Amino acid sequence: MFINKSMTVNVIKITEDKTLAQAKEKMAKHGGIRHLPVVDGANTLIGIITDRDVRSALPSSLDVCATDIHAASEKLKVKDVMTKKTVVITSEGTIQDALLLTQKYKVGALPVVDNSKKLIGIISVRDLLRAFINVLGIKEPGTLLCIIVDDNFGIMKKITNAIYEEKISTGSILVARYWEKNKRAVFPYLLTQNVTGIKRRFKNLGFRLLDPMDWSIETEEK
Amino acid sequence: MKKTGFLYDKRYLKHLTGAYHPEIPERLTAIVKGITEADFFSSIINIEAKPADSEAIETVHTKEYIKRFHNACLNHESIFDCPDNQICSDSYDIALLSVGGVLTAADMIMEGKLNNAFCAIRPPGHHAETDQGMGFCYFNNVAIAARHLQRKWNIKRVGIIDIDVHHGNGTEHIFEKDPSVFYYSIHEHPSFAYPGTGRDFDIGKDEGTGFTKNSPVLPGRGIEEYTKLFTQDCIPAFEKFKPEVIIISTGFDAHEDDEMSRIQLSTQGFSWLAEQITNLANNYCQSRLLSVLEGGYCIKRLPELARNHIKILLNS
Repeated sequence: MFINKSMTVNVIKITEDKTLAQAKEKMAKHGGIRHLPVVDGANTLIGIITDRDVRSALPSSLDVCATDIHAASEKLKVKDVMTKKTVVITSEGTIQDALLLTQKYKVGALPVVDNSKKLIGIISVRDLLRAFINVLGIKEPGTLLCIIVDDNFGIMKKITNAIYEEKISTGSILVARYWEKNKRAVFPYLLTQNVTGIKRRFKNLGFRLLDPMDWSIETEEK
Repeated sequence: MKKTGFLYDKRYLKHLTGAYHPEIPERLTAIVKGITEADFFSSIINIEAKPADSEAIETVHTKEYIKRFHNACLNHESIFDCPDNQICSDSYDIALLSVGGVLTAADMIMEGKLNNAFCAIRPPGHHAETDQGMGFCYFNNVAIAARHLQRKWNIKRVGIIDIDVHHGNGTEHIFEKDPSVFYYSIHEHPSFAYPGTGRDFDIGKDEGTGFTKNSPVLPGRGIEEYTKLFTQDCIPAFEKFKPEVIIISTGFDAHEDDEMSRIQLSTQGFSWLAEQITNLANNYCQSRLLSVLEGGYCIKRLPELARNHIKILLNS
């Protein structure tokens, strides 16, 4: 799963000589975006500026009036507050890379660059969420089940065979580590309303169907 | 006692869904048994079904869709649009007869011959989209009835209450931009149940914003949560909307013995819901209430659930 299909290619960007007022205006004008990659004249990425950077650099509205805030934003330049050590990803990066990077560096978006650091796109947490909604298949009508199985070789074959024999299409199958030792929680998202047969079949295979209120995909602390 | 109508036609049994399907003719046989054996049976008024004309169906579904469904049946296909929707060569005609029966019931209510009615029909309708069959549904009976009430009887505000355990995606989408039809649904939470729609933040679109309301219920929560959500979400909304007629998408599949859901609603829970809805109809609609069968798959429980439902309509 490469990010190139999920990223935004028409990037709204800015140059370092622009003022914070201009940066603010640009973000507002483009639907309240929160990240502007900063590029030089050759479209090489040299930093990133976020709405948070802009707000932190300006005086608080509790201390000064709106005119003073505006004056400050006219005076300060993008280069004064932008982050220069930008966390980036290349177009050959995967969705998984992007997820781990955004989590590790606590950023909301990653500029996408080619090998010569030219800006070619941006991928935001929102883009990643959209990609994940696709992966989960939850835009199609279906029913989610949760079964607890032994963590044995070949167990997924039994599950997919049962689904196949019931002639059901699959939206997605998630496999999660379960809190019991040597067990896995498997979440088949089945594109049907008619799950009585498959539930019976899973039970006959010796699988345990978990009470929906006990479902969880996370067992690790945040 | 109210003038309560009961719609049923033996031909509804002719829509066959093949082996291992929960939406089977026996559902209706069970419902009819429960009603004919009831002590109040002689007090209810029989409604005769007749097929709906294509003009009525076209108020909701596209011509292309109707034709596609008709052709699938003419060609003896066994599946239409998705594997859930198993059909036989009679399915198209029976679906027309379902809609037609519901429209007759609606007319009888508007003519004052009935105060309310229960329509024991199949196939069900609330998952059917304008151009897509799904979830055992082909023509959206309830949506077509709402449009019929508006067109023929000049009704300005129709209230739909969907108590099937699955969200009525079709009905919601058909009316989501329309402020003249209020769609309320209480159902098993879409993260756990088919069709995966009907979240509490889905409230309608454009002009119809605020005229859709969803109460998703987490598995196992039963009557306590139903009472709380219905009281807080549906009753005040309908008091404000003041519908002239209420249509119920009546599904019995939230029952604790129904394998299609995990909501655990008791038989008493269904009676409580029906009582709340008849109260709303008495308060705002001159008692005009049209109840249309959707799901409900526990053959053992359907007789008592349908019997209680009609008894409440009769005594409301």
